[in-house]
Amino acid sequence: MEIIGLPDASVRESRDRVNAAIINSGKQMQPRRITVNLAPADMKKEGPSYDLPIAVGVLIATNELIPSIDFLHEKTAIFGELSLDGFIRPVHGALPMVISAKENDIQSVILPYENAKEVACIEGIRIYPVSTLSQVIDHISGSHTIKPQEQISFCDLRKEQHVPIDMSQIKGQQGARRALEVAAAGGHNMLMIGVPGSGKTMLARSLPGILPPMTFEEALETTRIHSICGRLSPGSGLMVTRPFSAPHHSASVASLIGGGQNAKPGEVSMAHNGVLFLDELPEFSRVALEALRQPLEDGVVSVSRVKNQAQYQSSFMLVASMNPCPCGYYGSEKNICRCTPQEIRKYLDKISGPLLDRIDIQIEVDAVPVQEINTSKIAESSAQVAERVAKARKRQQDRYYGMPYHCNAQLDNKGIKKYCPMSADAIKLINAAVETMNLSMRAYFRILKVSRSIADLDEIDIIQSSHVAEAIQYRELDQKYWR
Amino acid sequence: MKRLKKIPDKTICEAWLAYAELPSDTLIPLIYKYQGARSVFDTIVNKKENIGFLSSEQQKKLFSGADDSTLENFSVLINQHNILSASILDSEYPDSIRHIEDPPPILFYQGNLEVLNHKRRIAMVGSRSASYTGLRNTRSIANELSSQGVSIISGLAYGIDTQSHRGCLDGGSPTIAVVGSGLDKTYPDGNLSLKIEIVEKNGVIVSEYAPTVKPYGYHFPYRNRIISGLSHAVVLMEARIRSGSMTTIDHALKQGKDVFCYPGDPESILFEGNRILLRDGARFFTTAKDILEDMNWLDNPSYVRQNIDCSTEKRPDNPAEKAVVQALEKGTLSFEQIISVTGLSSSELMSTITLLQIKKMVELLPGKKYRISRQ
Repeated sequence: MEIIGLPDASVRESRDRVNAAIINSGKQMQPRRITVNLAPADMKKEGPSYDLPIAVGVLIATNELIPSIDFLHEKTAIFGELSLDGFIRPVHGALPMVISAKENDIQSVILPYENAKEVACIEGIRIYPVSTLSQVIDHISGSHTIKPQEQISFCDLRKEQHVPIDMSQIKGQQGARRALEVAAAGGHNMLMIGVPGSGKTMLARSLPGILPPMTFEEALETTRIHSICGRLSPGSGLMVTRPFSAPHHSASVASLIGGGQNAKPGEVSMAHNGVLFLDELPEFSRVALEALRQPLEDGVVSVSRVKNQAQYQSSFMLVASMNPCPCGYYGSEKNICRCTPQEIRKYLDKISGPLLDRIDIQIEVDAVPVQEINTSKIAESSAQVAERVAKARKRQQDRYYGMPYHCNAQLDNKGIKKYCPMSADAIKLINAAVETMNLSMRAYFRILKVSRSIADLDEIDIIQSSHVAEAIQYRELDQKYWR
Repeated sequence: MKRLKKIPDKTICEAWLAYAELPSDTLIPLIYKYQGARSVFDTIVNKKENIGFLSSEQQKKLFSGADDSTLENFSVLINQHNILSASILDSEYPDSIRHIEDPPPILFYQGNLEVLNHKRRIAMVGSRSASYTGLRNTRSIANELSSQGVSIISGLAYGIDTQSHRGCLDGGSPTIAVVGSGLDKTYPDGNLSLKIEIVEKNGVIVSEYAPTVKPYGYHFPYRNRIISGLSHAVVLMEARIRSGSMTTIDHALKQGKDVFCYPGDPESILFEGNRILLRDGARFFTTAKDILEDMNWLDNPSYVRQNIDCSTEKRPDNPAEKAVVQALEKGTLSFEQIISVTGLSSSELMSTITLLQIKKMVELLPGKKYRISRQ
């Protein structure tokens, strides 16, 4: 048996798997020459998902398997990896394959059992989950048909949402909690500055839990990307929890924004519709950070490689954390910082202005004193916060209906002028602040955007002075001793 | 017959002499005996005479140091960096250090040497990696002293030194920096702009080291005797026990200078040196006025800090502001602590703090702590 049509190594090896699986399923393989052609011939094929269709094709072509009339009546797509004993193993990328099958008017899909749940939410296509090759043979010949899988409604799935860290687990940190709430409400990117062990990572991890739940489309988009990269755990359904992606700071540009020989999605796309958390922001390489600017601005990344060109969705909330200085203890009471002002400036300068510009909220996170950790006081839970956030988001959706914005963070200067009306007191306050605290014009607009979100949380249309005053506190790097 | 070398200019000869790093108890008699560096040069290099109290090694070192390329290099650097010099023989050599133990035989300087005879000179010393509050206080005290006509002397290092110089420049008096390397070098590099500004604003940079000499570590504690020697009193802002600042204090005590010591945070390790000194009887001070009073420099007895204004602007307007101000009057607090003391919600507290910051009643410190503004 020979396979042609630009197969890669794993596809070429499927010859042996197909052979063994057919024999182990009780069918005969006559010793004869078989050519398997994968069309279109000019496109590279890779991965083991062609095993099952090749096996079925070979069986039908050699008359070992006669398809039933029912089977011939509907267009069916088949994919799956075979093991030598005839069992079928799950593959990566089931969801996108089923979606594109549906778009191509295919009525049913035969796929590995483990992949079935992933695609169970898609309407208008019959799913036949299978676990052995003989099951497939029986199904196609009509001797023993499989029941199509029942559709699972998205609402049911959503109940399975799993929040990694609930806000009620976070002790103290009143300031940072509030900042997270505001960030979630307006979709603002956020930077946390604090000494090691102050809880920056934990705070960041609680963010997905207070964001509004994903819509069906969002869940589909996100699951698709994870499916392609093989990051879905076997047997899991559509992703209903917002993703949280935390690449290590040694990440390369390609692993961050996508790429590689065949252009795979990177961490920013894994965080699509969720949170991208960059711990120790200044430790990331400068090129990697600069590459983040496009996805931050447009919500997509374009990856161009010699062999491939692709665009991946990557609309995420950026949450970054950093120490206040290279040794980490600047401003700490317990440990003494040994950094010179020049070292501190150098450290902070690693984050370029344009990137910092896209981060609306910058706050300092203080270490929690031991007494706080031991208190039995239970803080507000994520669900309570999420409710307020959802209301604020709803106001934004209604306000920006038909506009190119979805949330406050996306407002440009024109949008800010239009959608951020301020009370007379608020105008007076922000002018005074610009003067006394040396705020730049850029900071001025950022403050307006954030105060818009705070006002939305309060469900007020006109921004009041208290909203502006709070927003000013989220611009720590601007008013800081270290600039 | 071999052609005699032309005797170079005075500053070049002095650089040549200083570069050999003879101990000062050798160098000073040498300068006195031959009445200046040029005739020492003439004697050693041209006449090749043996000088009795120089060892043969020292004599050789001086002789070989006088080759053309070295002298040419000195000349270039001296012109390029506008370096001037005064030896202990010269009348412009400052009297204040002429009689200290181990005076520098030759002083190199950039700027206006007259400043060293300024009527009021205070040395301010402290750690290079000082606390943020220490830096802020240093700057404001230096500023205030300077505005009362006091020149501040310090060492051009980072931290307290930098803030002392800057504060003095802000206050309008010339400032004096004593450095531990040749004047063609700037150590630390980052203070080049400060160095230039000091000279521009009628101040002076002083060094006992010849051009091209690198800032070796042992130079710094040694040059501290000049810092204390040039001053009328030494002010310690913030120092640990084993620190360069404490050597300055030792020198000051030997030279019989007054020592003022800022109390600082009694619990912080950064102020360990301050605590020891206070215990041993250094003068306690918290404001510039304390120093001026003690030194009898108060021109105007009713002088109060100028920048305290009691205008109506500086009053809390509502209960929340009042609560925050009251809480902070007892000391510096972090954001979370203010929340637990006042019971405000975090959003209320954030907006209250902004209002107080705009009124300049509260200021932010590193680590998200707040205190009542001292300005």
